Amino acid sequence: MQTVTIKPKSEIKISTEAENISPDKFAGKTDKEIQSLEAWVGNHKTTIGELFSVKVEGSAPAADTKIVMEGDFSRVKRIGEGMTSGLILINGNVDMHLGSKMGGGKITVKGNVDSWAGREMKGGELIIEGNAGYYLGAGYRGETCGMRGGRITVMGNALDFVGEHMCGGEIIVKGSTGILPGLSNNGGKIVIEGNTSRPGSEMAKGTIIIKGNVDEMVPVFKLEGNEEVDGVMFKKYTGDVIVNGKGVLYVK
Amino acid sequence: MELIIKNGSVFDPYNGIKGDKTDISIKDGKIVNKVSSKATVIDAGGRLVMPGGVDAHSHIAGAKVNVGRIMRPEDTRSGLKPRTKITRPYTGYTVPNVYAMGYRYAQMGYTTVFEAAQAIMKARHTHEELEEIPIIDKGALTLFGSNWPTMDFVREKNMDKLAAYVAWGLLASRGFGVKCVNPGGGEMWGFGKNVTSLDDVVPNFDVTPKEIIVSLMKANEMLGLPHSVHLHCNNLGKPGNYKTTLASMELANQVKASRDRQVLHVTHLTFNSWGGTNWGDFESKADEVANYLNNNENLTGDMGQLVFGSATTMTADGPVQYANAKLLHAKWGNGDVELEDASGVVPIYYARTISIHAIMWAIGLELALLTKDPYKMLLTTDHPNGGPFVNYPEVIALLMSNKKRQEEIKTLNEAVHKRTKIPGIERELDFNDIAIMTRAGTAKVLGLLDTKGHLGVGADADISIFDIKPGQIDPSVEHAKIKSAFSSAAYTIKDGEIVVKDGQITATPMGRTYWVNASVPEQHHREMMKDIVNKFKNYYSIQLSNYMVQDEYVTHPEVIKAGAIPVEVS
Repeated sequence: MQTVTIKPKSEIKISTEAENISPDKFAGKTDKEIQSLEAWVGNHKTTIGELFSVKVEGSAPAADTKIVMEGDFSRVKRIGEGMTSGLILINGNVDMHLGSKMGGGKITVKGNVDSWAGREMKGGELIIEGNAGYYLGAGYRGETCGMRGGRITVMGNALDFVGEHMCGGEIIVKGSTGILPGLSNNGGKIVIEGNTSRPGSEMAKGTIIIKGNVDEMVPVFKLEGNEEVDGVMFKKYTGDVIVNGKGVLYVK
Repeated sequence: MELIIKNGSVFDPYNGIKGDKTDISIKDGKIVNKVSSKATVIDAGGRLVMPGGVDAHSHIAGAKVNVGRIMRPEDTRSGLKPRTKITRPYTGYTVPNVYAMGYRYAQMGYTTVFEAAQAIMKARHTHEELEEIPIIDKGALTLFGSNWPTMDFVREKNMDKLAAYVAWGLLASRGFGVKCVNPGGGEMWGFGKNVTSLDDVVPNFDVTPKEIIVSLMKANEMLGLPHSVHLHCNNLGKPGNYKTTLASMELANQVKASRDRQVLHVTHLTFNSWGGTNWGDFESKADEVANYLNNNENLTGDMGQLVFGSATTMTADGPVQYANAKLLHAKWGNGDVELEDASGVVPIYYARTISIHAIMWAIGLELALLTKDPYKMLLTTDHPNGGPFVNYPEVIALLMSNKKRQEEIKTLNEAVHKRTKIPGIERELDFNDIAIMTRAGTAKVLGLLDTKGHLGVGADADISIFDIKPGQIDPSVEHAKIKSAFSSAAYTIKDGEIVVKDGQITATPMGRTYWVNASVPEQHHREMMKDIVNKFKNYYSIQLSNYMVQDEYVTHPEVIKAGAIPVEVS
């Protein structure tokens, strides 16, 4: 088991990209080696060591590497990008693109995350105990596939476009979300326990379950009747009929 | 500045040099007989030396290309290369940024590239991009096939006015030649329709695609333009369209060439040599098209080879792009250029497992391998329609190695065995054939053989050297080496300056923009302009005075004069 503890040396005010914060990159490395990994502050190239204090205990492959992040990371983007195994525990808030393209392992955030968390995620697990921003588990601009696999759980609320262009995997939001969750979906499953509006527009495949209120429905779904899911009765819709969609939308 | 290339294995088909060890002397950007002893020496060490590559059909600049960039932000994620002291950043694969266009062509040994379609009204945009593409010489073909004035003059059978309009359109767009895309179809797309045969009548204009093609060919030859009419046939993208293609090619017999070149260039034939009646019985008819080319002397074509992977289709053929977007459930960019044609942009992914794509891949190669004379079938991918131009080395390797083709065929949908002839074609092209398809032939088709596509005295000193030693390599077996050598030139020399060394950009001079200033009798011009003034008054959304591309937009011009009588054109 290898445990790496990271703390900001001082308050980070400028947008920072630190995709090297990942168990795959840290595994088997000493504190010096980790400190020398590249990071960017604005348009200025720097190192992890310049920005953060790094404490390493033990040495292990990525699967047995745990990164503990203490403090405020609300200007630090791309944490855990493309990670394939291991753990990241963040006791604070983080900026955009957390766990983007991750294929395995687990990230737990005690605070809030900004937009694009779990963007194009392929596997693994992302647990957000606070709130999430826009485009949770979505695709990059212009891509036809967002999240393809894995699971995202948000204990709080999320903003608009949850799981946009999702092709697989599962997103669970315990709170409410902004408009258009599951926009242009092509697979996967989204469960929203709170309220939302205009779900599933342009969806071709996939499943969306809304347990709270739906403020407004886009008139592109066909009502199939009532159906019970996990002991609760829902109205079952299919669509988006305009794009010949085979998506399924459950609304109370 | 003097330069001499020694010990090269030179392939210069136009001058009949096939791998001979010939020294090439360069002075002041031109190839000369000899240079002084002070000349810088490049020792080619037996490596392959060819003229700089010339591409006659590629979409490198203008409104369509930029629509592609805007609608495909995801494309910009690949091909990223940060700036260096010499080069600006590269982005993109199918729709690269302007700088990458120039750098990547130069790195493949190409020095001249022609944008294949610009509407006159959008030409200013084309030139703004061309002026930012570094290193290579370039030019743009101007669309005339569905323009209202074209169709009016064709209906009136007034060839003098049509020729005057073509001359004026080339001036207005600072264009190089006449492009004709799905003639009539672009206009009908304005009403959600298309033409389906050469004899369909375009409503409101009472002309047929056949009449448009023949009349434009005649006007082209009246003006003696360097290039012939460059035709994107009707019915592109529809199974069974090879019949329309053959019928279009037959029209070339009605017109006599004014120069030593074809009267009709039929472009991206991969998309026009389709048999069958639907996607179920879709098959290759490349053999019929190649056979026609083999038996007729007034025509040329280019491959438009498909390359597996990501591509962005972009064309002035608006209706076919609507059909594509519907078929593929893909993003769709649609453009209407008022009185001058339409356009469409749709991303596509060509997959080895899809029968249609596998057959199309075979069609391009069949066209090149079954056409006996390489001067008649140029190497293109119709960038980025069949695939991005950076894949030319892959296409070269496929043409030079049957072994590589057979290896590829094993990975493809089995339809390639049943509905194409490619598995049984053993022909392997040699370096001379490749030099023709990418250099001498393209220059000849464009009418630029004076200065481009060869290494004779007086030619532009555009030269490429590749890290292969002909005679010591068997391209059939060592096709991977062929591909990698053509991907990354050992040297690219542009106007006598070394711009690429060992695949890296070493200098970024600005290339020239070719355009044609064709003269017509003043009286024809005046009569034609009466109609044009009316069109602007009644239909165009912009003023005639704001329409012409000004010289300020073409800061490195290379003007080629054409036409019979010099006249003042305002």
